[in-house]
Amino acid sequence: MHSLKSWRYPAKWILFRTDDRLLLIFIAVIVGICSSLAAILLNRSLIAILSWLHPFRQIWWAFVLPGIGAAMSSLFLEKIVNEGAGHGVPEVVYSVSRYGGLMRFRSSFSRLISSCLTIGSGGSAGPEAPVVMSGAAIGSNIAKFFSLNDRQRVALVGCGAAAAISSIFNAPIAGMIFSMEVILGEWSSAYLIPIAIASVAGTEVSRILQGNQIVFSHRHFDIDLMNIVVCLGLAIITAAASILLTRMIKYMNGKYGKAPVPLWMRAALGGCTVGLIGLFFPVVLGEGYNSIHMMIEGVFAQGFIIVVLAAFLKILATSLTLGSGGSGGIFAPCLVIGSFTGLAYHRGLVLLWPSVSWVNEGCFALLGMAGLISGMLQAPMTAIFLIVEITGGYEVILPLIIVSTISTTFCRYIESASFYLKDLTEKGHLLRPRTDARVLTELNVRELLETDCIGVKQNMLLRDFINIVKKSHRNYFPVEDEKTGHFLGMIYLDDIRPYLFNPGMYDAVLLGQIMDINVQTVALDDDLTEILDIMDINHLYSMPVVADNKFAGMISKATLLNQYRKELMVQAND
Amino acid sequence: MEAQLFHIFRNTPLGRETLFQSTYFCSKTGAAINIYVPEFTKFLMYFENDVIQINLDESYLTAPGSALEHATEVVMQKNIKPKFIKPKHFTASTLPDIPTGFDFMCCPRSISDLSSKIGIGYIGPRVRRIVKSARFPVLITSPVYKEWSSITVFFGGSANAVNALKLGFRIKRATKMPLYIFTQAEKGHKKTCKDVIKHENLEKEMEQLADRWQIFEKGKFEENLYKVPHDSLVVLGAYGHGFIKDIVFGSKMEKIQSTVSNNLLIVGPNYTATV
Repeated sequence: MHSLKSWRYPAKWILFRTDDRLLLIFIAVIVGICSSLAAILLNRSLIAILSWLHPFRQIWWAFVLPGIGAAMSSLFLEKIVNEGAGHGVPEVVYSVSRYGGLMRFRSSFSRLISSCLTIGSGGSAGPEAPVVMSGAAIGSNIAKFFSLNDRQRVALVGCGAAAAISSIFNAPIAGMIFSMEVILGEWSSAYLIPIAIASVAGTEVSRILQGNQIVFSHRHFDIDLMNIVVCLGLAIITAAASILLTRMIKYMNGKYGKAPVPLWMRAALGGCTVGLIGLFFPVVLGEGYNSIHMMIEGVFAQGFIIVVLAAFLKILATSLTLGSGGSGGIFAPCLVIGSFTGLAYHRGLVLLWPSVSWVNEGCFALLGMAGLISGMLQAPMTAIFLIVEITGGYEVILPLIIVSTISTTFCRYIESASFYLKDLTEKGHLLRPRTDARVLTELNVRELLETDCIGVKQNMLLRDFINIVKKSHRNYFPVEDEKTGHFLGMIYLDDIRPYLFNPGMYDAVLLGQIMDINVQTVALDDDLTEILDIMDINHLYSMPVVADNKFAGMISKATLLNQYRKELMVQAND
Repeated sequence: MEAQLFHIFRNTPLGRETLFQSTYFCSKTGAAINIYVPEFTKFLMYFENDVIQINLDESYLTAPGSALEHATEVVMQKNIKPKFIKPKHFTASTLPDIPTGFDFMCCPRSISDLSSKIGIGYIGPRVRRIVKSARFPVLITSPVYKEWSSITVFFGGSANAVNALKLGFRIKRATKMPLYIFTQAEKGHKKTCKDVIKHENLEKEMEQLADRWQIFEKGKFEENLYKVPHDSLVVLGAYGHGFIKDIVFGSKMEKIQSTVSNNLLIVGPNYTATV
């Protein structure tokens, strides 16, 4: 029985006892394989559902299919697994930020099923974010199973996310970078190594089961300086499209959120509207990879106006799907909208300057995809490497860098955080390592409590108090009620100095008469960020902590700074 | 600082009974009560190595307008000032995170199933997971309000049973009530239990604080449970044995809670007791 139990504690194995990096690498392989299998499962299920429903797409009532899928997805999440809608990436980042990557087991499959229903039925969303959540939850639960610590668990959450992206796009570098840039928000070798291993494992499993295929076929593009210069304009347009998509999703979310109908009905309504759009513009339905193929190949025949309209309708369809409660991510829609934007931009250039020899429009479709991903995720590295890997060519690397970085920069001017992190940032829940907010979250009032203050009673004479002052090295004293022990106020030596040097007052003044009763106090469970704000506003260096009406101790900026430095050093060494 | 008990309030007659139990526990042990009046039927509890989603039934959202008033009324009857918990963090917009840094938590027999299931005979899977992950012991109340005037610790010699014994000593010190130790001794088990007491340096406490140590060497465990005083707070350790053994033979915790109707204080494997 003992040997059976010990296998759940690999940190105790002789092999891993000396260096936990080996342990992480070993478990990263397991996480990578499991996440990759989850991604492949979703991919295969999507293909199966899409081909099963394909014959029905031509029928006039096919517009209800996305509505039925979205309603089923919503019912599944709400009634069966008791989870909220959405793509789940903010939940992953939140768990990494605040709870050392702890995630529920159900998250490892819930979004796979719900997004399969939404996207398979024709909803405009992508399977990537649900797969990221699933992979991250798999990593977290494997870490939990092996009783790993917070730091190791966070690394495995990153491994799961990286392997999922690597597997779904057959793009190991993009997976690694996405995980470091978006999920963990830091570049440290402690995380990089297991994440790289998980990406390799995930990609290899995908290649074994699905073949080593590039997602979008590689074409040769001759890019000259002129083409690179005009990319600046494309960067700005893709940034504008990113902001429009972000705001449209938020707007739809708000509108549908106020509708006085059950969640599944909202999702159905949104899905049916998408279905209606899809009757006239089928390119907006589903993940939309077929359209991207055509655009990169340069065989997307429709003219400038139709391409622009398709881009707008895809933005609308994605907003309706995700805003109404459908399940899925924005990765694939970004790629589709980006390629439409790039294509439209190219056709606009050709219209304006027909004599210039522009590079093939497929190249601009690629650059548009990078611009949209960079703008929405505010993660330029992820966008650059993703496009390079999914197209298998480095020729476009220079304009890719320009479009990605400029698009990110413009988006940052207007949107303070990426689509994934916007809500977390607004609520103050994004706690990246080694930031002020993260360090303060790791500390609490209890561990900063200074308990060496001497309490005094309100009926004590000033003469008796002077004897206490002689023994104390503090210049503040909490005053407590004689009977109940309740905190009544504080005596600060600076405030009562005139009485101290007047012996005539020694037997005439009681402490209750000279104490400060308008003292700002804090509670044991108050946030340190809020406490520091109060201190700054009121120009205070220390404050009394009161619990259950009783004085518990003092909290001071000096002690806080001391602990802050220690915590910062711990995080820096991780 | 006072010990803190966490209570999820349900604004129904059944919820009132449970709150009376918590209030009584606090009045006897000197703990403060932290009441959570749920606004959603779901919430998360993040423990050191697990996150548990609690799915409450709709009865927990009954008459939210009068919930605070009713809870205050019940608690104030024992001259205890209630403290109401408002979640500060949310994993999702309708999924609050409830803090886990308490010293005790009160659970009905099951907090994730319908009220009709709450009674003798079933500890919900969520409650079991809380017991397994929490650093605090869980107070599982009897179906109706029942005061207790003694403490009974089930001590079988396991690590969790030692923790239960230490908790029993702690409650005895706080309440000054009689403390009984109950051991079902199988072959050679009596000596093992005594050795454990010696090994854990608890001999002095056993002598000073335990009023009676009943060792049953004969009879079935279920039959001997009749000897447990009906008005006693039963303290026991959970997860003392392996998962497989629990599945095959059933756990002691499940046997006890399905046989006796007393209030139970269950100590999980992560509880770190000090004597």
